[in-house]
Formats: sequence, C-alpha cells, structure tokens
Amino acid sequence: MPDWKIAIIKVVFIWCWTLIVAVIMTWVERRGAAMIQDRLGPNRAGPFGLLQPLADGIKLFTKEDIVPARAQKYLFTLGPVMFALPAFSAYAVMPFGDKITLGGKEIILQISDVSIGILYVVALGSIAVYGMIIGGWSSNNKFSILGGLRSTAQLISYEVPWGLAILAAVMLYGTFSMREVSLAQQGTFLGFLPNWGIFKQPLGFILFIVAAYCEANRVPFDLPEAESEIVAGYHTAYGSMRLGLYLFGEYINLYTLSAIIVTLYFGSWHLPYVDMSTFLGPISYGIATFLVFFLKVAFFLWLFVWVRWTVPRFRYDQVMGLGWKTLIPIGLFNLFITALFIQLSI
Amino acid sequence: MSKPAVKKSYTFQDRIYLYEIIKGLGITIRHFLANVRASLRPGPHTIPTTWQYPEDRTREISPLFRGAHMLILDDQGREKCVGCGMCARGCPAKCITVKRGKRKEGQEDRYVGKTYCTEFHIDLLRCIFCGYCEDSCPKGAIMLGPEFELAGYSRDDCQLFKDGMLTNFHRAMEEGKLRPPRKPVKVEGAAPGGSGTGAGSSSKSPGGPDKQADKTQQ
Repeated sequence: MPDWKIAIIKVVFIWCWTLIVAVIMTWVERRGAAMIQDRLGPNRAGPFGLLQPLADGIKLFTKEDIVPARAQKYLFTLGPVMFALPAFSAYAVMPFGDKITLGGKEIILQISDVSIGILYVVALGSIAVYGMIIGGWSSNNKFSILGGLRSTAQLISYEVPWGLAILAAVMLYGTFSMREVSLAQQGTFLGFLPNWGIFKQPLGFILFIVAAYCEANRVPFDLPEAESEIVAGYHTAYGSMRLGLYLFGEYINLYTLSAIIVTLYFGSWHLPYVDMSTFLGPISYGIATFLVFFLKVAFFLWLFVWVRWTVPRFRYDQVMGLGWKTLIPIGLFNLFITALFIQLSI
Repeated sequence: MSKPAVKKSYTFQDRIYLYEIIKGLGITIRHFLANVRASLRPGPHTIPTTWQYPEDRTREISPLFRGAHMLILDDQGREKCVGCGMCARGCPAKCITVKRGKRKEGQEDRYVGKTYCTEFHIDLLRCIFCGYCEDSCPKGAIMLGPEFELAGYSRDDCQLFKDGMLTNFHRAMEEGKLRPPRKPVKVEGAAPGGSGTGAGSSSKSPGGPDKQADKTQQ
C-alpha cells in the first residue's frame, strides 16, 4: 500500500472517530448531568436514550435556517465554520497510538508527526476564538457581541498561563513533537512512579487544565455563552445547523483538549509499569495502545462534564484576576523550578 | 448593627479553591453513582424523584385529588342527582349544563329523586377543577374523581357527558378510589338536615313537580 493511501485511511478513520465521540459526548453530557442532578435525562430514543443525538441532529438539520435581519450574512455563515474547523484540524498532530508494523511497513498511529505539533495546536486554539468573535459581531445583537468580547478578554487572560505551562512541559521533554513527547513518558520516574508528565509537572498540569477549561469555554469559565447573564452569548442569534456546528465544534474541542492533556501529562498510550509491546503482537499492540489512549481521554472528557455540574461560573472580573494575578505568577514560578531542575540534573 | 451573616475571613483551603472543588466533585460523583445504581435496579421507580409515567402508573394520588367528574350512585345503584342545576349555578367557569326531567312511574329503581338529570354536560376545556360543583350539590351527587388522563385529540374528546361521568364513577368504584362522602359541615343558624346528608332523602326533593321540567341552566 502506498503511503498516501495509508494517510487517507488514517484521516478518514480519525475524522469519523472524532465525530462519533462528539456525538456520544452530547448524550453523555445530558445523561451525566441528569444523573448528577437526581434526574433521569433523555431515555426515550433508543436503548438508554442513545439515539437522542441522532434525533437532535435530524431536528437541527431540518429546522429553518434563519439569518437575522441586518446581520452580516457572509460573516454570519463564516463564524461556525471558523469555530469548528480548527477544532477538527487540531487532531491532525495528535497521536492516538503507538506504531504498528503491517507487511514490513511501519505505520505510526498519528496522522502526521509534525515537529512543531504543540505550537500547531496552540495556534489553532487561538483561531477558534475568531469563530466566536465573528459570530458575535456579525449577528447584530447586543448579547452576541458581548459574548464575543468576553471570549476575547478571556483569551488574553488564559493564553499566557497556558503558554507558560506548555513551555515548561516543552523544556522538560525537549521537543515540540507530540509523538516524541509520548515516547519520552515510557518507563518509571524515581523508580516507583510511572514516567508521566503529571509527576514531573504537577503545577504545570494544574495550570494547563485550568487554561484548557477556559479554552473550551466550559463551566466554570463559560463566559462567552453565560446563559444566565447574556442569553446564549455569541450564538444567541444562531439556529438550526449553524448552531449545531458551534455546539459540535465545542465537543470536538473538548476531545482535542483531553487528548493534549493525556499526551502531555498522562503518559499518552503507556500503561503504568507495563510495557505492552513485549507480549502483544504488532496489530493487537496497536489496538491496545489506541484503547489505552482513548480510555485516558474518556476520563478527561467525563471530567469536563463532571466539573460542569459541580463548579459555578466565575464572574467576569474573577476570571481576569485569576488569569493575570494567580496563574501567570504560578506559571513563571513553575518555569523557574523546571529550569532549575533541568540545569541541576544535567 | 447586627453581625454580618457571612464570615469574611477565608481559610487557607478556601483560598486555594482547588481543594474545595475536589470536595465538590466528591459530592456530585456520589449523587451520580447512587443514581446510576438506582437506575440499574429493577423495578418501576428508577430514581426516587422521577416516575416513568406512561409505563409506570403505580404512583398513588391523594384521595382528595380533583380529577374528572363522577355522577354518584347510591347503594342500590340509583342516581342521586335530582337535576336541580345548583352545580351549574355555582360553577365559576360556567362549564356545566344540566337538563332536568321528571321521573316516570316505574323508574324508582333508577333515580332517587322525583326529578333527575336527563342531560349532564361538562366542558372539560373550560372546567378549572375547583370542586365548587361538589360543594354546591345538595345531594352529594357530583364528585371530582381520581381520573386525570384527560387529554384528547379534538375538542369533542374533551366533553364529558352523563354516561362518561357514570363510567368514571364505576371505574373509581372498582379501583376502590372513591373517597368517602364528606361530613356535613355545621353552619351556624342554618336549618338542620341541610346539604350533604347523602343518599336516602328522596322524599323532600326540591323543586317538585313543576312546569319548568326541562329547565336548562348554563
């Protein structure tokens, strides 16, 4: 098989897989929320209500597509695309398993091992905010523009600590490539801990996960769409599948962010203490690494839902204060400590 | 002035906030796990506060529940209603229409009073289920029953007639959901033996033989 065929198979597989996960996440979110709140949630469509996302999708596709009067039509159309596309694209550099050997050919379970993979993800994360701002601006609606403004203000307060956390991690691993970061987390640390990023970068992990919640616009930092304050924020004026694209992009974003967290801090596809490649065949090893990686990602996906129904929303100024006055000093401190340890151990 | 209700000084754990979040996560996951376990348990009530209504009809309703109207029969299966129309008069929504007819010879085993209602119509779309008809009835002949599934596909589905009210009564009888007649309320200065005494007082029916036998009230 030529390389380009393998690449296409990988792209199609990951595209479909991401879509399936995003669809299932809408179900998990609603049922999980219901269970946490002592309700039952949607349980009518199919077994356990599993067909509910399908019903939602049909509903969104068949609804009337309304563009508000005096909205800027082209930007209004562009907004959801700008939001969802980076979320999809970011998965291109994410590893989802170790390499497998098929017919004497080594296939890495990653669409492309870019040498600046982490930078690529950070850049795309910033582009997604444009989708919100454009959507908010073009709707010609007060609540929408407020939501868009909030997303900008939030961006400048979380991107700096996010960058600092990633910088410390990059210093630790000495690479920007996601695959090399994953490979560096094999074995044990200090003899008894798994060699995962969280044990070397506990502060960095906390910074990163807080910033990731900001990046995903999830509670407690869902300021751009704070529904108790500004209706629905940047997508107030959106309906039908345009809204669906926004919501879908949000769940794909969650998946991407969870994958980054797992790659950087939770050992990627490695099981603690066990090296699966020693006793598994090449193909079953590939499947096992994929499953291990996905299980870790699934935990963080669930954590997003779990935190959403636990922590109340931060006030607007509180998020700014948290970002500038708490997270940036912690990030700088973390950077300093990391540099010190690297310098001392070498 | 009184002391502030909220203590302003935060402990270190409050300041860190992450610790409090983890405590909160513990609370929510406890609810989650308990509810998942409850929903996997066999039985109609998956979660104590949620009834799976159309499948699960075991929920008990109060004996004082005011649902669809019933026309009450006495112990011998005779209609108590004398067709006086007091319910129609007392109805704040004006949804009751009663037509009175005279009891003929040989119908003593069907009607208690000398007159009876030939037609009884309740517009359930108008009815507010206040129960004033029940209160105003001198014979205790109309009651709001336990039936609450009143949805229909057309306006005609939502009209209740005499046979429907009797059906409601029979069903409530079978299911044992008929509430005992209310005890007569003593009114100061009122004549003894007034309203709500129930079945047997057929002889002193109001109205009597009169010209306006088919009086309609709305």
